[in-house]
Amino acid sequence: MLLSEFLTSVLLLAGAFFFLAGTVGLLRFPDVYTRLHALTKADNVGLGLMVLGLALQAESWAVAGKLLLIWLLVLLSSASVAHLIAKAARQKGIEPWKQ
Amino acid sequence: MHTNDRGQCLPFTPRYSVTICLRAGLIRAVLFSLIWWVLVDGAMASWPVGVPVVLLTTIVSMALLPPFSWSLIGIIRIVPFFLWHSLCAAVDVARRAFHPGLPISPGLYYYQWHLPPGLPQIFMANMVSLLPGTLSAELADEYLCVHVLDQTGAFTSDLSILEEYVAQLFALNLTVDRSKKI
Repeated sequence: MLLSEFLTSVLLLAGAFFFLAGTVGLLRFPDVYTRLHALTKADNVGLGLMVLGLALQAESWAVAGKLLLIWLLVLLSSASVAHLIAKAARQKGIEPWKQ
Repeated sequence: MHTNDRGQCLPFTPRYSVTICLRAGLIRAVLFSLIWWVLVDGAMASWPVGVPVVLLTTIVSMALLPPFSWSLIGIIRIVPFFLWHSLCAAVDVARRAFHPGLPISPGLYYYQWHLPPGLPQIFMANMVSLLPGTLSAELADEYLCVHVLDQTGAFTSDLSILEEYVAQLFALNLTVDRSKKI
C-alpha cells in the first residue's frame, strides 16, 4: 500500500511538471503553431501520468477504466482541436514564425 | 450476388459482407458493453437500460462507420510505440520550453501520403500531433501539411515509420504505393 501511494505521488508530481511545461511553452513560444505543440504534447502526457497515478488508488477496475476512458477522450479531442486550430490559422494566412 | 432492397445488383464489396458486418457488430457491442460497465461502476441493476443503449449505439456506429480492416498485431505494436514516443514528445517540448535560449526552428513540411484517404489518414494526422516535434496543420487526400518544431530533426523518417505502424494497424500494405511514388 505504501509503495502504491509513493508511486502515485511521483506520477502526480511528474504530471504536474508536464502541465507546467506546457503552460511555460504556451507563454514563451512565439506563434500559434509552436504554442499548439507545447499544449498538445505536454498536457497529454501530464494528464496521462496523473490518470496512471490515480488509477493506482482506484478501488475497482471500473474506476480505473473510467480514468483511462477520460484520458483517451482527451487525447482524441486535443489532437483534433490542435489540428483544427492549426488549419484555421493556415486558412487565415498566418505564417509560421521564423528565426 | 449482392442486391439491395429494390433488387438491383450492387458492386462486389468484400468488406461489407454479412459475416464481416456481424463480426464487426459483435466486437463493437462487446466494446460498448465494456464502456457501459465502466460508466456505471459495474452496477448490475443498470443493465435493463444498458442493453438497449449498447444495441442502439452499435447500430448507430455501424451506420456512421462501416466495418474496416484492422489487425490485432497492429494494435499490439502501435500502443507501446505511441506511449513511448508521446512521452519523448512531452520531454522534448518541455526541454525546449524551459531552455533559456528557446531552441526551436519551426517550419512547414508537406508529407506525401502513402496511406489511403479516410480513417487511416485521419488517424495518422491525429497521431502526428501527439508525436515529437510534429503538428498536423492541413489534411488533404495527397499530402499532410506538418508544422515541425525543429527543422533540423529527423522528422521525415519518423513520419514514414509512423505511417508503417498505422498501415499495419489497418492491415494495409504500403509497399505497392511506395514503389509507384519513387
